[in-house]
Amino acid sequence: MRINPIYRQESRAGARSFKLPLIILGFNSVLAVVALLYMYSMIAQVRLTAEIQYSSFLGLYSFVATMEFVLLLFIIPGLTAGSISGERERQTLELMLTTRLKASDIVAGKLVQGLSTVFLLIVSSFPILGLVFIYGGVTMPDVGLLLLCYVVTAVLLGSAGLFCSALMRRSTMATVTAYLVVVVLNAGTLVVNYLADGLGEMTLTGGNAAAGWPMYLLLWNPAATFQTVLNSQMGSGSGLAPFFPQLERIADMGLAGRYWLPLSMALQLLLAACFLWGAVRNTKPGRRGRRRG
Amino acid sequence: MLRIENLKKVFGRTVALDGLNMTVEQGALYGFVGPNGAGKTTTIKTVIGLLAPDEGRVLVGGIDVDKEPDRVMARIGYVPDSFGVYDNLKVSEYMEFFASCYGLTGLKARKRAQMLLEQVGLDDKADFYVEGLSRGMQQRLCLARALIHNPPVLIMDEPTAGLDPRTRYEFKEILKELQSQGKTILISSHILPELAEICTDIGVVDQGRMVFEGSMEEILEQINVASPLLISVSGSQQEALKLLRAHPEVETITIREEEIVVGFSGDKKDEGALLKQLIDAGVNVYGFMRERGNLESVFMQITDHSGEEVVLIHED
Repeated sequence: MRINPIYRQESRAGARSFKLPLIILGFNSVLAVVALLYMYSMIAQVRLTAEIQYSSFLGLYSFVATMEFVLLLFIIPGLTAGSISGERERQTLELMLTTRLKASDIVAGKLVQGLSTVFLLIVSSFPILGLVFIYGGVTMPDVGLLLLCYVVTAVLLGSAGLFCSALMRRSTMATVTAYLVVVVLNAGTLVVNYLADGLGEMTLTGGNAAAGWPMYLLLWNPAATFQTVLNSQMGSGSGLAPFFPQLERIADMGLAGRYWLPLSMALQLLLAACFLWGAVRNTKPGRRGRRRG
Repeated sequence: MLRIENLKKVFGRTVALDGLNMTVEQGALYGFVGPNGAGKTTTIKTVIGLLAPDEGRVLVGGIDVDKEPDRVMARIGYVPDSFGVYDNLKVSEYMEFFASCYGLTGLKARKRAQMLLEQVGLDDKADFYVEGLSRGMQQRLCLARALIHNPPVLIMDEPTAGLDPRTRYEFKEILKELQSQGKTILISSHILPELAEICTDIGVVDQGRMVFEGSMEEILEQINVASPLLISVSGSQQEALKLLRAHPEVETITIREEEIVVGFSGDKKDEGALLKQLIDAGVNVYGFMRERGNLESVFMQITDHSGEEVVLIHED
């Protein structure tokens, strides 16, 4: 099997760098400290009340999962946003484009490299997430669904980072733009829903505007998808639920509401495909223009 | 081997290439010269497929770059003016990476990389990190990289810029060896004496157009025409100056000590006629020859846009 040359080269160079071990150490340290503090507070509560509330242990799962999701939101754009612009800055992109490699090969290699790092983070954090299995309440399929949500988020945000990297000449600008895309997807779509809610409450009928078109924007929101996964496993009130009251009205949305989770994941993968198409198109600027004469 | 037909490229309001034509024969070492902003790099980037032409076409071995870029890429090796390095990659790994970009892997890639590193004198640096090499070594490595897929055409954009004289000499020797192996080489450079030494053909581009193209023999002929006539006369120069001022092919006259330096646009036959005229007019001519010229003087003449007048200057 032919391994993508970009992926192989990046993996080799990455393996020699201190960056990857540091990211893994930092990521898991934060998660471990959060999990241990949460467990410590639960045990302190047991000592105080002499009652064991098993629902608190489920809270550990939701807390660690949310923390991991938020960390991924911060890490993924940083991993991919400098990849193509970095090649441009090093003046190696032109060299690669004059080989038999296609722009799509370069983008694919960079994406796979970025995603492999994210998968390494997700897999390495599994023991921390697995603390919940000591007390029960969460099954392997539940965790599998959560990991699938992480993967979809990684693909979407990784692709957005690559698009920004191909679009911008400088890595700094590409990174800033990639984080803006993350903010727009996660907070922007939510803000539109809050505004729609506010407008709905101001109408005479007090109509429920959130059940209208702005709700469909949340299908593109990775944080909303993550919260939908948690809601399906633990009921409402966990994780990022306070930020997403609109998600409680999904059931009123008919077919879209019934298949909300697969639909949102499919749409986000579609958006990722659009970002990747844009990244490929912008990686080879010279061949974009059509002939005039 | 390489043919450019009526190439046009416009960036906004700037016309970078304005109907450029160029022909590089198989096995030629073609020197591509021109002032800054003349369109050299744009031409090269169009040839290697990094820029799409607005009009015209580029053929490499009869294949249109715009229509079949992948087939053309397999036939071209490109050495840019700048050299990009990867952190944490060794010289041998760098070569193997680019070999894999051309579909070469395993033992075949390693052998080819090793052979090329020997050719450019870097075989003892195979386990060194690329970023630790000197600029000259990096440029030689870049040349080896461009040859990893054994392309028949090598395109180089200012490859010796910033190199010390010894490295430039070594680089030149490697180019001569490559040419002897049958490679067609297009080299863009500002260092004209170097081109004059190694090139078989020369193309001068200016304002996006090819203003001179031909073999080295043709340009040497041009050099002779471009160089001024040095006329030495005994006694008074007044009669000679009077005759020269009236001559239609005399462009400039400068007096340098006892020598009259004449910008003369005529050919050898006209030179003979001028000498006869001087002698017939009673001028005692004891020296009459063309000054030894070089590629630089032709380049300056071809790319000089200021109009020339007949002037008389006394040099101290």
